[in-house]
Parts: sequence; C-alpha cells; structure tokens
Amino acid sequence: MSTRERFQQTMGDVRTAPAVELRGVSHLYGRRETAVRALDNVDVQFATGSWTAVMGPSGSGKSTLLHCAAGLERVTEGQVIIAGQDISAASDAELTELRRGPVGFVFQSFNLIASLTAAQNVAMPLRLAGRRPGRQEVHGALAAVGLADRARHRPRELSGGQQQRVAVARAMVTRPAVLFADEPTGALDTRAARSLLDLLRSMVDHNGQTIVMVTHDPAAAATADRVLFLRDGRLVDRLERPSARAVADLLASWDA
Amino acid sequence: MLRLSWSTFRDRWQVFIGAIVTVALGVALVQSSLLTLISAATARVPAGLSSAEAHRVRDGRDGALALLGNTLGLATFVAVFIVSSTFAFTVVQRYRELALLRLVGASRRQVRRLLFGEALLLGLVGSGLGVLAGLPVMRLQVWLLIRLDLLPDGFTSAWRTWVIGASVGAGVLIAVCGVAAASGRAARVRPLAALREAGGDARLMTVSRWLLGVVFLGGGIALLVIVPHVGPDAAIAMALCSCIVLVVAVAAFTPLLLPAASLLPRLFAVGPLGRLAHANLRADTRRGAATAAPIIVLFTFVIGMAGSLGTLGAAARHETASGLRADLVVTANQEMTARLAAVDGVAVVSEETPVAFDLGSVEDGKMTYESSDGLSVSPAEYGRTHRLAPRSGDLADLHGDTVAVLGSHWDVGDVLRTRIAGTPRDLRVVARYPATISGPQFLLPAGLGVERTDSRRYTIQVASGAFAAAVADRLRDAGLGRDGTVDTAAGWVRHEASDRQRVNTNVMVGLLALAMVYTVVAMVNAVVVAASSRGREFATARLSGLTRTQVIRMALWESTALVAVGLFLGGLTASATILSLVGAVQRIVGVTIVSVPWTLIGAVALGSLAVVGMTSVLTALAATRTPPVRLAGTRE
Ligand SMILES: Nc1ncnc2c1ncn2[C@@H]1O[C@H](COP(=O)(O)OP(=O)(O)OP(=O)(O)O)[C@@H](O)[C@H]1O
Ligand SMILES: [Mg+2]
Repeated sequence: MSTRERFQQTMGDVRTAPAVELRGVSHLYGRRETAVRALDNVDVQFATGSWTAVMGPSGSGKSTLLHCAAGLERVTEGQVIIAGQDISAASDAELTELRRGPVGFVFQSFNLIASLTAAQNVAMPLRLAGRRPGRQEVHGALAAVGLADRARHRPRELSGGQQQRVAVARAMVTRPAVLFADEPTGALDTRAARSLLDLLRSMVDHNGQTIVMVTHDPAAAATADRVLFLRDGRLVDRLERPSARAVADLLASWDA
Repeated sequence: MLRLSWSTFRDRWQVFIGAIVTVALGVALVQSSLLTLISAATARVPAGLSSAEAHRVRDGRDGALALLGNTLGLATFVAVFIVSSTFAFTVVQRYRELALLRLVGASRRQVRRLLFGEALLLGLVGSGLGVLAGLPVMRLQVWLLIRLDLLPDGFTSAWRTWVIGASVGAGVLIAVCGVAAASGRAARVRPLAALREAGGDARLMTVSRWLLGVVFLGGGIALLVIVPHVGPDAAIAMALCSCIVLVVAVAAFTPLLLPAASLLPRLFAVGPLGRLAHANLRADTRRGAATAAPIIVLFTFVIGMAGSLGTLGAAARHETASGLRADLVVTANQEMTARLAAVDGVAVVSEETPVAFDLGSVEDGKMTYESSDGLSVSPAEYGRTHRLAPRSGDLADLHGDTVAVLGSHWDVGDVLRTRIAGTPRDLRVVARYPATISGPQFLLPAGLGVERTDSRRYTIQVASGAFAAAVADRLRDAGLGRDGTVDTAAGWVRHEASDRQRVNTNVMVGLLALAMVYTVVAMVNAVVVAASSRGREFATARLSGLTRTQVIRMALWESTALVAVGLFLGGLTASATILSLVGAVQRIVGVTIVSVPWTLIGAVALGSLAVVGMTSVLTALAATRTPPVRLAGTRE
C-alpha cells in the first residue's frame, strides 16, 4: 500500500484526526559542543482543514519546525506523524512519495527551476509522479494564481511576486492535503500578499486542505485560524481566531 | 525528463559543451594512440634486409611499441581522469537544481536516471565527434613521432573501421562511469539543500573517497618502494605507473588538501582582494578541486617524467664516466685495432663492438628466440680500460662459446641457449656483474661471429708519461681521424650523455605531448565551466562595492592560487616518483644523483598560469558584462 493510499484511507477513516502531529520533537543542528537546539520538545497538532500561522523572533526555530513537520529534516528526538503515519524513521522513498502526494511546499525564495517556463515548472511535480499533466490542470493552477497569460515565461522574466505565485501554483497542482509555507508573503507587496492569502484561505475553506505557514507579518497571521508563537525552539503561546491587533499586541509583549 | 534535460542544456550549455569537448578529445587521443600502436605492431619487417638491418628495424619497432603502449595507457588514464572529474563537476554545479527536483517530488532513482541519461547523450555526441577528431589527431601524433625519430620515416597509421565501435563504446562508458560516482552523491542530496545558498552537503570527503584515496596511496607507495628493486629498464615504466596511481590518490584527497594548500597563496595575497579570493577558494572546494585536477595531472607527469628521465640520464653519465679507465675513445666503422696500437704512446686498445644475437628460452616446450643486445670485447683489453668488479667468475675466461652477464638471474656455469648468425650456439656464463643503467647486459668474446649493429668503439689507454692530447693528435695525424672520430674519454662521455638526453627528451615529448595538451584544454574548460555559474556571485561582489576591475583581479588571484596549489600537489607526487628513481639509481650506481628539471618546472608553471589566468580574466570579463543588479536577484 503506497503512502498516498494509506494516507487517503486514514483520512477517510478519521476525519477528525490531525493532519500533522508533532510529539516531543527536538532538533539539534551540528554536533556536540557546537550543537544548536533549534527545536526543544515541541508538541503540537495541526487539525485537518485548518490554517495555522507560526510566528516568533528570527532564529527561534520556525523554519526548522516547518522542515521537521514536512519530513524535510529528520528530527533528533520525538515523532512526526502525518496522517497517522510516523515519518520520523521513514525511508527516503516514503518521504518522496509524501512530497509527491499529500505534502506541498512554498518557500520564501521562489525555488523555481530557472530553465523551465512557468507552466513547465507547475507541471513538474505531476511529471515526476509519472503522470502526464493535462493542459487544463496546469492552466487551471496558473489561472487560480492569476498568471494564466504568463504560462510560457521563464522565472527570470517574472517579477518576484509572480514567481512566488508560480511556486504556489506548483504546490497547488498536486492538491496536497497539507501545504507548508515559509514566509510566502515575505517578498510581496500588500496587494500581492493579500491575493495570495485569499488563495490560501480558499484552499482551506473549499478544498479542506491544511496549511502551516511561517510569517513575520501580523496581518498575514491574522488571516489564519490560529497563531503559534515560538521562542528559542519552544512553543510559548497561541492565539485562536486572532485579529491583527491581538497578534501585534502579543508580539509586542514578547518583545518586552 | 528529456524536456528537462534539453532545457537544462540550453541554460547551461557551457557546462555541457565543456563535457562534450573533454569526451571528444579524450576519445580522439585514445583512438589515435590505439590505431598507431596497432599499426606499429602489425608492421612487417621488410624482406631482403641483412640480419643486422632487420635487427635494427626490429629494435626500433620494439622501442616504438613500448612507447606507444605507454602512450596509450597514459592517454586512457588521462582521458578517464579528466572526463570523470569534468562530469563530477557538472553534477556538482547542479546540486541546487537537483535538490529542487527532489523537493517537488523527484525520487533518488529519477535524479540518477536524469544524470545517467545526460551522460549517455553527452557521451554519444562527444565520442561521435571524438572519432572524427581522432583522424587529424592521429596524423599529428604520427608526424610528431616520426619527427622525434621514434617511428621510421614513411610510417603510416592505418584506419580501422571497428575502432568506431570501440571509441564510441569507450567514450560512452567513460562518460557514464564518470557520472556514476557523482550521481550516487547527487541522488543523496537533501531536498533542503535547495533552500540553502551553497548547495550540496558539507561533507566532501565521503567514505568512498577516503577508500579510493587510501587504496591508491597505498598502491602508489608500494610501487615507489618496488621501483628501486626492478632494475633500470622497468624503472621508467614503473615510475609512470606510480605517477598515475599517486595522481588518483592526490585527486581523491584534494578536497582535504585544498584548504590547507590554499594557505600558500594566502601568504602572498595581501589586501582585501587576495583575502576574498582565498576565502572563495576555501568556501567552494569543489570548484577549486575540479580546476586544480588537470593542473595536478599536468605537473605530476611533466615534472615526474622529466625528473625521472633526467635522473636516469645523469646516473648513466656518472656510471659511464666512472666505469671508464681510458684516456681516449675512437669511434669508427672499420676494424683498426692494429693501426691504433701502432701509434706511438698508445698502451692499450680495447675494441668494443655493439652486437645482436638471439637469446632463446623454452616456452611450452618450444624454443623461442628474442633479439638481444650485447657488446663484443677482448677480455684482457676490456678489463684494462674499464673498472669491473665481478660478483662471481672472471672475465679472463671469456673465450670460445662463453658469455659474461650484467645484472641478470644467470650465474656462473649456467648455459645460455642462443642463435648467432642463424645457427644455435650454447654459451656458458663465465662471469657475472651487477646491473648497469646504460648497458650492456651481455659481454661476448670477440670472434664469435656475432652481427655488428653499430659503429665499433675503441677505448684507449695511453702509455704512462704520454699526454692524451698529444696521442690524440698523433692518431689524427696517422689518418685515423678520417675513418673515425677521435675523442677524449671525457668528451666522449659528454657526447654520449647529450645523445641520450636528446633521445630521452624525444621519448618524453612523444609520450606526453598530446596528453598534456589535453590537460591544458581541460584546464581552460574547468575555468570556463566554473565561471559560467558565477555570474550572480560576481554581481553580488560588485553590489557590495567591488569595481569590475577588482572582480577580475579577484578571479585572477584565485586562478593564480589554483595554479600554485596544482604545482604544489603535482610537485609533491612528482617528487615522490623522482625520489624512488633516485633510490633505484643509488642501488645501481652507489651514488645519490638527483636531477630536477627546474627550467621545465618554471616553463610549465608560467605557461599554466598564463593559460588559466587569461581564461579566468576573459570569463570574468564575460560574466561581468551585464549590470550587476540584473543578475544579483536571479537564481542559478
Ligand atoms: N543548517 C543549520 N545548521 C546549523 N544551525 C542552523 C541551521 N539552520 C538553522 N540553524 C540554527 O537554528 C536556529 C533556528 O533556525 P531557523 O532557521 O529555524 O529560525 P527561524 O525562526 O526560521 O528564523 P528566521 O525568522 O530568521 O527565518 C537558529 O539559531 C539557526 O542559527
Ligand atoms: Mg526561517
């Protein structure tokens, strides 16, 4: 049974189960004396169909949390459970399956393949999974991010915000159950950021996808269902249904 | 996947063209050496020659075969080495891109398949071009070998159609093997590497690299230890072997050695630019290693071979000079012992004639003969004009069907089965001497009727009280100078040595020239490939305040440092090889003789510096043509 099948089965069985769960996760960079404890015994659940924002000062371990939860980084201690399956000891092939199906990424730097057009970039995950992507599928994803007319452009012919949206389209095209986004609005102006956040909102509301998003922007965090605060690798606070003001206030209180 | 390969190709054509060029030239070089070797091996000795002439032709051919065999071995090694390091580098250049593919769902196998597919394609195109390029290369090689007197005039190397298959097969195989090691590592690249600035894992010294390095270093050291014990004939071939093995070891350890070795230029690179260049070298060890690899190969072989041959030459000269107890040497084409002895002041005349005979050995119950060289002498006179210290036996017994051996496994009393002038003769060993560097291996008594192969030589001792110069004049006055050349012993030794030096230089040039030209192409190639992916880095440097000139100076500093590193590491391996030869010489001659080709070292160092420096300036100029802002934001 492939990871995806197992995943779908689990999803069918237990709708209420968290899409992703971290149990006592710690992560250390480096070895012995110079080791940095980027995550320190973190317990957290990301419910299916929810949108979580992760905040915290620079170097607090937000990206590390995201990477560990997505199976890009092996945890030093603890377990990461995606759809009921413990991935902390998964093989590389299983993790690859995960990236092809239930897990998608958007990063701050756009990470498009420079030699491919926008459409080819979007189609790449499907091709890698051995599927011949339909024109409709790819164009639909590009249209959803408002770039239908830029399909044949290469990344260097696109603006930063447009590249970011291509990356989102690429993450959407496989319809991942969980989307991990690391500062996706970091390089965007307010308008572009707004439209990207709307896009994410509709993914959660209409497709039941789960989103975990790292951000420094209280306004962006406020569009999420929940905000987690991280400091020195530990979860120190959380807000449910936050408003931008409440987020900003909390950040200020932590800064003090 | 194919589409991805194609669009990657369009984007990174410098990298791939570089790979194709190395495959094509490597295949051309190997194919040319192979065809020439086969042509030389199948060439027939023309009928109707006297047995001495036939012997000379056969001798020349044996020499050419040995040389061509070594050339083929060297060409193959250099081609495999350069192609695999180029392919490994092209893979490293694309770590980020491969990590990105992994991030969006590529499996390890897919990454590997992509790389192998590309290698297959590049190998096919490259070796196809190589088969064509092999034709002019072959003509050039034959022309060179004839010019250097290593092949007879009129020698032609025949084209053989089956070589297309061999060349293409070998080219593809080399390309695929070159990518095999790199692809294993590339497939293990973590997806997260796509998010980091410097792609790839930090560990440069992988287990397999360590293993390779240690095994080859061990093998190299073993060879170096053996060299002094194999005798002068095999020593040069062994030295070449040890160069090859040690170069692989050094290349394997380069990532480890480079940071330390790059401290060397750090000492000279004062100011911020030099410091930046040094830091760049340290940070991107892979790029440095790829550029340094051909330089290391070039230095190792040129210095190692020149030093080894030079040391042997110097040792031979020393040996000849110290073994000779004569005052004058006359070389002539006719018998003149009596005429020489009649001249006033001449005390001893020893006639020494280079001869050839067939030495038989029993193989599978059948007698097979192999042409051997000896020196036909009169024992009493020879013993007086030479310093001889037999291990056993006595040269005085060299009469009739006898022989004296130098540095062989026979002992006094053994019988050599030979064929002299067509008739089988059994020669009894009467004396045994230690091995010499410049030969001969056998002393035969005069009057055995052995075929002469070269001019006669007369070593002459003058009577006590007579002046050598005066006797020489008298010899010339007697008209003996017309039929031959009269020389002082020292002068003759000098001429012999310079003759040998010329032959040695020719052999070295014939052996190394094309392969070394290939390494120079590889150097240029590596610099171009490395620079092709540095546009963004250069742009960032300029945005942070460097002028274009400063960026170019930085690139120049880096290449200077790499040449220095290559010279250092290549010099190290070459020294090891030369030292082992010094050991060999010491065992034979009993004196420590070292010949370091300083002029050559200087010339090669300056030449490489010029080539690498010029290339890096040109590529840096090209890479900085676009305004920096436009590049700094893009990903590579
Ligand atoms: N590859 C690495 N090797 C060593 N230490 C690392 C590595 N990556 C991150 N760290 C360290 O781990 C800690 C957490 O880093 P992380 O990138 O998760 O922070 P972050 O919260 O995402 O910060 P930012 O908001 O600046 O992106 C930091 O102290 C960082 O220096
Ligand atoms: Mg971060």
